[in-house]
Amino acid sequence: MSRFVKPVVLGVVDAFAVYGLVALAGQRSWWLFAAMLAGTVAINVIYLGKRRVPAKYLAPGVILLLIYQVYVVLYTGYAAFTNYGDGHNGTKQDAVAAILAASEVRVPGSAAQPVRVVERGGELGLQVGGQVGSVARPLGPVAESDGWRALPYAEIVARQAEITALRVPVPGQGSLRTSDAVTAAMYRSTLRYDERAGTVTDPATGAVYRDDGRGRFAAADGTVLSPGWKVFVGLENFRTVLTDPGIRGPFLGVLVWTFAFAGLSVGLMFVLGLGLALVLDRPGLRGHRIYRSLLVLPYAFPAFMAAILWQGLLNPDHGFVNAVLLGGGQVPWLTDPWLARLSVLAVNIWIGFPYLFLVCTGALQVIPPALTEAAQLDGASPWRVLRHIKLPMLLAATTPVLVATFAFNFNNFNVIYMLTGGGPRDATSPVDVGSTDLLISLVYKLAFGGSARNYGLACAVSILIFAVIAAISLAGFRRARRLEAN
Amino acid sequence: MARWFSRYGWRHAVGAAAVVVALFPLLFVLAASVNPSGTLTGSNNLFAAPTPAHYQALFTDPLHPFGKWFANSMVIGLTTAAGSVFLGACAAYAFSRFSFRGRRAGLLGLVFVQLFPQLLAYVAIFLLLSALKDVFPAIGLGSRLGLVMVYLGGALGVNTYLMKGFFDTVPKELDESAQIDGASHAQIFFRVLLPLVAPILVVVGLFAFVATLNDFVIAGLVLTDPDQQTLAVGLHQLVSYKLGQNWGLFAAGALIGALPVLVLFQFLQRFIVGGLTSGAVKS
Amino acid sequence: MRTTTLALTGLALLAAGCGTTAPAPASRPTQAATLTVWADDSRAKPLRDLAAAFEKDRGVQVKIVQKGMGSLRDDFVSQAPTGQGPDLIVGPHDWLGKLVQNGVVAPVDLGTTAAAFPKVALDAMRYEGQTYGLPYAIESVALLRNTALAPERPRTFGDLVATGQRLVRDGKADFPVGLPVDPKAGSPYHLYPLQTSFGSSVFDGGELAIDDKGGLEFAAYLRGLAKAKVVSTSLSGEIATNAFREGRVPYLITGPWDAPALAKAGVAFSVEPVPPAGDRPARPFVGVQGFYVSAKSANPILANDFLLNYLATPASQRALHAAGGRPPAMTSVREELRGDLVMTGFAKAALAGEPAPSVPAMDAVWGDWGLSQLAIITGDGDPAKLTGDAAGRIRAKIAD
Repeated sequence: MSRFVKPVVLGVVDAFAVYGLVALAGQRSWWLFAAMLAGTVAINVIYLGKRRVPAKYLAPGVILLLIYQVYVVLYTGYAAFTNYGDGHNGTKQDAVAAILAASEVRVPGSAAQPVRVVERGGELGLQVGGQVGSVARPLGPVAESDGWRALPYAEIVARQAEITALRVPVPGQGSLRTSDAVTAAMYRSTLRYDERAGTVTDPATGAVYRDDGRGRFAAADGTVLSPGWKVFVGLENFRTVLTDPGIRGPFLGVLVWTFAFAGLSVGLMFVLGLGLALVLDRPGLRGHRIYRSLLVLPYAFPAFMAAILWQGLLNPDHGFVNAVLLGGGQVPWLTDPWLARLSVLAVNIWIGFPYLFLVCTGALQVIPPALTEAAQLDGASPWRVLRHIKLPMLLAATTPVLVATFAFNFNNFNVIYMLTGGGPRDATSPVDVGSTDLLISLVYKLAFGGSARNYGLACAVSILIFAVIAAISLAGFRRARRLEAN
Repeated sequence: MARWFSRYGWRHAVGAAAVVVALFPLLFVLAASVNPSGTLTGSNNLFAAPTPAHYQALFTDPLHPFGKWFANSMVIGLTTAAGSVFLGACAAYAFSRFSFRGRRAGLLGLVFVQLFPQLLAYVAIFLLLSALKDVFPAIGLGSRLGLVMVYLGGALGVNTYLMKGFFDTVPKELDESAQIDGASHAQIFFRVLLPLVAPILVVVGLFAFVATLNDFVIAGLVLTDPDQQTLAVGLHQLVSYKLGQNWGLFAAGALIGALPVLVLFQFLQRFIVGGLTSGAVKS
Repeated sequence: MRTTTLALTGLALLAAGCGTTAPAPASRPTQAATLTVWADDSRAKPLRDLAAAFEKDRGVQVKIVQKGMGSLRDDFVSQAPTGQGPDLIVGPHDWLGKLVQNGVVAPVDLGTTAAAFPKVALDAMRYEGQTYGLPYAIESVALLRNTALAPERPRTFGDLVATGQRLVRDGKADFPVGLPVDPKAGSPYHLYPLQTSFGSSVFDGGELAIDDKGGLEFAAYLRGLAKAKVVSTSLSGEIATNAFREGRVPYLITGPWDAPALAKAGVAFSVEPVPPAGDRPARPFVGVQGFYVSAKSANPILANDFLLNYLATPASQRALHAAGGRPPAMTSVREELRGDLVMTGFAKAALAGEPAPSVPAMDAVWGDWGLSQLAIITGDGDPAKLTGDAAGRIRAKIAD
């Protein structure tokens, strides 16, 4: 039975690959074609051969990882070198089209007229009353026998883009166009695009707008046409990050708090999770299943909702914590700098401790009872058993989870953004930064808080933040390995 | 009595305290779900005039095909969980039992990819799936399978590391004796190792399930048709517009959405804690 | 060895099977055209009904995609350039700046239909001289007054505060007025009628003006309101609305979005424009909801046809109003609702207002402006200085 599984699965995979290759060749996407071909060949080599056993187990996951995760990293790396963001959102071609569309204005006083879209030998035209015109033929009267045929709706739908692009010159007035194939009106364009020179001209003022190399059309006097388009800007985004006073000024304080937040979150979640796991890990404890099931619930709840929920609970005048638990106290949980830090930390731990509780519960199961029993026979106290036997084994097993949790909280934008928005704000700082801002929320404000969202800049900062986390995590792993070796 | 307390009683006290802390905020969600005005924060007068209206509305309003959302969430969540466990376990087996070039670096690499701040993942995934749609519509934009594939892209990573640690605790002698009995590497993997590490498989599967169930960002991007959407996407829509928040419906939906996790966890607990499987490791 | 053979056979068979049907995407037969519309769930349902008529008449398909309001605009901006975006979207007019800045929205010619809408709605749909959308609803904040607690209509905001404070002293109200303040973002939107009553507006001739003379007077007034505990950062919209619903506050400043739920709750209330605090008229920000055509639509004719000949009709505008509860923009439809005092009250308030600015810089303006209000309310410094600092920061961001 299992003999047939492999060839069938591999056959199906290859069939899909062939299908994909044909489709990609049809679209002339040669880079993707090459990547897919290489991937298919690699899969066949791995699975048809007898050797390369580890690769057989790694390949499926790694391929998906490359497609969906490594790709995101590469895309971020690419975007960091562009000016992608508001105002630089698409291609130059789109930008030209948008600029020209916005420059077209209705000729004042001209009325909209019922129109029919007509066709003769493939050429499209517009018929208004007894007159017909096309791109090449200015609007003028025609005889019945001229051969123009009214286009049925289905054909209109099939040639929509052509029809809306149609401009029928009306001598001395402008040009006729339709946007719904039902009515037409007279328009005049205030800008002209010269395809060969790649410039946009304003005939009324004589201004010439040229591609300024930064993804915009700019005139000699510095006026710029909107929208622009996406171009490479080299290291500019990185330069901005390192020199912008908006990030340099508060940087140190925010960095320290980010470390404190991530470190304390992981540490306290771990202590809480491990503690509860140990307490409930007692043979013969009745109801331990119910406890465990209920403790998992905060984790099963959507985190964005938890943050909003806590914002309400911590409301100084009307929230449950002050009004009921503290009997009408006025503790400013979210508006005092230190209390706000305490609050985000507490809420974050509330959201996250079940995760580490589960991990620790699972990890405790694999500690061979023989080990602890032997120590107990030797007269070791429960504390010493925990400290010298269970804890080292648990730490070795959970280090990667702790590192990942640290990194996650280092970038835990959601909880901060939903609960305090980074605030309370430092009113004395010229920069928009608050007491609970993490690096990632500072980046968000920097890249998206201004008048234009700047993805390129956000990517550049993301890469720098990643470098910091990666360095720290690497150090963490080194340490864990030493622990393991001991 | 004193002995009972020193053995079990204090554990009950700690457990009960933890449950109270974990659950009291959720009590507000329950209150909002039965409050006629669906308020989440305003009133501390919980359960003043309970009404099942929001629960009824969930299943009757054609604008919110809640039943379909729920079913979609379950299908997508369970598929993703099963796929993640399988892919992760395969990789963990390779890392635990074989030595090959780049093993240590590969393991670290898996964790590091997941440390990357995914500020732009949203845009990148959209571009990728819209390109895929032209070649393989079945896994492109607007496809549930496509969404599962995106989630499976994250199947390797820290979970692999976690599983590898568990595989390492299984003595190598077990594989060796199986090998002597003529078992292939695949048979050792499926028949000897996987049953022994069941607790961690279950934990990882549960993580994947919960994470999938709660994601509304990527799911909302990939699935656009209301009939295809998941619970988290649909519920998030109910409250995403500041001026028209629909907390009552949302709270009712979130509570029902949390039920499967609770049920699943009940059912899976015996694999996670104690029981037959870890007994085998001990012997 | 056998595996290899089997695999190769399987591959060959399957490849052959697929090869014959493998489509070359370029030559795929043209499917029936599909018009895609993105809308949030408050509009998806009426649109589905309106689209049915269009589908029947034109023999095309209309797909209504339900999107969350929070992500609709940004998704549209990032997806339209790839050609995968929708043909039409629905949303408030203050998105226009971003949409035009990114070149994703196409101009529309409303033609004679334009005459059916009030000036404020048409102004809102215009950006840099070009019209980009079809309006269908106008909305702004107004004053909701619990007629049992406060039978007299207040002439000024001062009257209102005095009545509210008296009711609080008498134990009939929890706080004088429900004036929602977002604890993270402040409340420039809800406070704007008061600010304009001091003669200040957000932009004056294209220049930021929140720190002009009137703006500073307003800042001092706001500090006074906070000191008198009339305005507080802990009073979120939800708490305020809830208290009004339960008859524990005489006044509430909110928009038509809260009206249906409040009407159901059984409190008797009237809707009127927010009274001025200064000596000028109070003008709220007006939000105009409308439909926009994608610049990258593959179906420009269908999109415009649906927009101009199906959505711009009184029947459609009536249906959209009936489903969403927003005051209709079309004058004739609005006049049919003369009997509905709540809708008329909101419409009257909106018609006296000015469209909220739609320039892309507004994202930056809202943020710092709101934060300065929060600081003024909590007493975190001198109101004039806080306002001036915020204005300075906004100017720096706009200049970037």
